[in-house]
Amino acid sequence: MNLFDPAFLSFSLSSLLMLISAILIVWHRSIVYSAFFLSMLGVGNAVLFAMLGFPIIALFHLAVYVGAAVTFILFSVVMLREAPTVEVPTKLLAILSSVLLAVIMINIFSVFNVQPAYTLNYRDLTSLLVDKYWFALIVAALALVTTLIEAITLARKEV
Amino acid sequence: MEIFYYLVVSAVLFALGVYGLLARRNIIRMLLSAEIIFNSALLAFLSLASLDATYVAEGGSVVILAISLSAAEVGVIVSIALMMFRMKRTLDVYELKKFKG
Repeated sequence: MNLFDPAFLSFSLSSLLMLISAILIVWHRSIVYSAFFLSMLGVGNAVLFAMLGFPIIALFHLAVYVGAAVTFILFSVVMLREAPTVEVPTKLLAILSSVLLAVIMINIFSVFNVQPAYTLNYRDLTSLLVDKYWFALIVAALALVTTLIEAITLARKEV
Repeated sequence: MEIFYYLVVSAVLFALGVYGLLARRNIIRMLLSAEIIFNSALLAFLSLASLDATYVAEGGSVVILAISLSAAEVGVIVSIALMMFRMKRTLDVYELKKFKG
């Protein structure tokens, strides 16, 4: 493996960004910073999507997930004055479960030792969305509109 | 890069998200941990979808729908958290039990 290969470098940097962001999301004291690091995780994930051959999904992830969902969390969290919560003593159990899960998943995934073979064709994607998944598309659009209404209602303090 | 490396990143992210969900009581922090799990699931899904020509477009469309629904889900949970904070002045999920009835 060539260490200066652009694909390897972008993969390593994005993975590192994602892992550090995930650690900071869980362990950072301030929730505002945790929400900010979630957006960094989304950016790293989008880079990996593009490297896998899904550039349009990467752009969608950046626009809808990082641009809308994470920003919504960030701005809502700013409205809350943080009160420290008492953490339960389940940390050992949580560490054990997560390590066990990671080991099992890596063991299962070790059979996929192949290169990504195909990239996304936009024509196929749009025809699938319009022909086969049209109802799901309408439901997703309605769900996003509902979120917009929720955000407006919360901002106006109507509840 | 082999698919295995993408899947390893996804597994580690999943484990970190599970740790956050189990060890935290703050509703927003739990939501953020669930979002780490969501991101890891998307990565694993697209990595596996890129292995077969039949599933590339299917995987892409399912991920687009999942991202849209996740944005809606975030809206709902943040609204619940804000309501909870306005009523109880806390974000501790154990306080949610008192909302019953």
